[in-house]
Amino acid sequence: MIQSLLLSTLMFGALFSVLSISLNLQYARGGMINFGTVAYFAAGAYAYAIFTQEPPSGLDQYAFGFDLPWWAGFLAAGVAATLFALITGWPTLRLRGEYLALTTFAFAEVLHSFLLNERRIGNGSVGLANVERPDLSFFGLDEQIGYAVAACVLMLVTAWLFNRLLASPYGRLVDATRDDETAAEAVGKDTTRTRLQVFVISAIPIGFAGALYAMITTLVSPALFTAEITFFVWIALVLGGERTILGAIIGTMALVFFQELVRMIPFESVRSAQIAASVEEVLTGVLFIIVLRWQPWEKMKRRKGA
Amino acid sequence: MGGMKKVLSGFTALATIASVAVPAVAQADDVTVGVLVPLTGELGEFGKIVAGSVELGVKQINEAGGTKCGMLRTVVADTAGSAEQAIREATKMIDTEGAVALLGPTSGAMVALVDLAKRKETVVMSPYAGTITLNEIGGDYIYRTVSSDLGDGEASGLWLKEKGYKKVAFLVQNEESTISPAQVAQERLKDAGIELTDYVIYNPGQPSYQAELISVLANEPDAIYLAGGQESGVTVLKEAAAGGYGGEWLLTADLAVPEVFDALDPRILNDKAYVEVAQADKSLPEYKAFEAFHKAETGAEPGPFAANSYDMAMLVALALEASDGCTGAAVNSMIRDVTEGGEKVSSFADGKAALADGKDIDYEGASGPLTLDKSGTPAGAYQIMKAVDGAWVDEKFFPASAFE
Repeated sequence: MIQSLLLSTLMFGALFSVLSISLNLQYARGGMINFGTVAYFAAGAYAYAIFTQEPPSGLDQYAFGFDLPWWAGFLAAGVAATLFALITGWPTLRLRGEYLALTTFAFAEVLHSFLLNERRIGNGSVGLANVERPDLSFFGLDEQIGYAVAACVLMLVTAWLFNRLLASPYGRLVDATRDDETAAEAVGKDTTRTRLQVFVISAIPIGFAGALYAMITTLVSPALFTAEITFFVWIALVLGGERTILGAIIGTMALVFFQELVRMIPFESVRSAQIAASVEEVLTGVLFIIVLRWQPWEKMKRRKGA
Repeated sequence: MGGMKKVLSGFTALATIASVAVPAVAQADDVTVGVLVPLTGELGEFGKIVAGSVELGVKQINEAGGTKCGMLRTVVADTAGSAEQAIREATKMIDTEGAVALLGPTSGAMVALVDLAKRKETVVMSPYAGTITLNEIGGDYIYRTVSSDLGDGEASGLWLKEKGYKKVAFLVQNEESTISPAQVAQERLKDAGIELTDYVIYNPGQPSYQAELISVLANEPDAIYLAGGQESGVTVLKEAAAGGYGGEWLLTADLAVPEVFDALDPRILNDKAYVEVAQADKSLPEYKAFEAFHKAETGAEPGPFAANSYDMAMLVALALEASDGCTGAAVNSMIRDVTEGGEKVSSFADGKAALADGKDIDYEGASGPLTLDKSGTPAGAYQIMKAVDGAWVDEKFFPASAFE
């Protein structure tokens, strides 16, 4: 039971860490408030599913299924997230602060509504089930371990690349764009382009994470990609402390751990399962409040500093 | 001191929450069966019936001494009608609880669980997932104790024709469990030469369905075929009445629960609404025995799919008893064998005794004969019920032979 808890924490924690690391780049370093993170995640997941899914048959309402291997779908997920970031970034990045936040949120809602109502994309509310996934059972180990490793690899690669990027002169350009656009432009830097670049670069790993999520759950449907994911990642970022990649990862892991912990309890009767269904959300909410109110990581950090 | 008080009050709050939900601990000699049902959401009322009936079956099995693998233990989880939640809970039940079979998913969840069931070698069985998608992909680790929607749609077609409607509109929720019977019924409607005025697919979870109803009611159908869930369906019925619709209704099985009459004014349904549901032949002795057991244990009549749910527990237990192992693969290897060819038995105790004597058995379920076809599906009968004085009463029975 503990092994299963740790494994799912590691798998989903690493997966969502990719989102929080990317958000960290956009917000803490790029100064852009993106409330539409889930949209890039959904774009990646749907692209993966559509590229790997068999052509429609029976009750299927979707129009395209290309039946390609998983790696083609994985690449398509990155491309889809990039394209969506370009489409949404180009008109919205002229906006600042809460205006940008609201516009990105609106874009995410538009995509959600589109996926729900345009059944030719992915069967509408039914979604696409039994999504193709590669066999990751290495050395006779369980597949879950393989997927946890894959999620960790994606997280580490993203963290390493973003770390390198921000430590380079380009990182200083990003910081300058955030801190004082006028000053940056005065020395000949194209801040509009920099903002768009950061926006697009950070969306690519989110798309890949979407593809991995589709492989793990073997399902994509609009109900999986709601604003809840965006806020989850934001809470994780706030929880772990802004501006550091490690903070983003720790915050996400802790949040996922709490959620998995609540879900881990088995119930033997209908009544207890009914109570659990209603208590789960309350308990998760209470844990969020406790953690945000007392911020144990901040305390630990301060003690370490002292 | 104040800090200590805060910590203590925090712990007390957590302990209170934890005490509400007491975790289950598996005994070493138990064999675990997962009950994976929607306890909330569009099919929440069905979930309670299914879980309750599986529990009744498990109780009877354990009273007969349990299986050779040990007593059956159930773990219950709510899918809330979401396929994602079903996959998550199923994975947990298999990996953490060691479940050998998962019983009770709805159509959408069943289809989504196909890959997982085969990968984890765990039997997944449903008492109400009639979706025609499973006609193609079911049969190995994926089974059901209800017939396919081919029969459901056929029965709807027969009924609509028998009622002599000239114009019928279809309102269909976008879910696997509702699209599937509607698609078949629509084809039968065409075969019968009845005019299909509209075929509207709507998304569940909307606060209102007036936009869909306006276009449907504009064509003045004699009857509306509503394939909707227990939440969206009730809203559609209310809004259609408010919009002045006075015609008849044919509702699909999802609305065949008495709670529908609590959720809306019964006058909306009385004498003009019919519901069609897969139903056991109530004249069969196996059904009568189950009905008596159900009444004795719960004090109530069995609800829709109760007999099918009870049969799932019996099939898993008998397959465990008949096989060499105690795993999902063992259940999968024997589940067909216990439903065909051999000595007819109608209870777990009789089946266990016959197997102990080295006989082959053929389990005759409370829901009818359970001989499973290539896709893991039995043949089935259907019942049309009519809304009379705020309750569903039997109107017409279509035996399985009607669809041959």
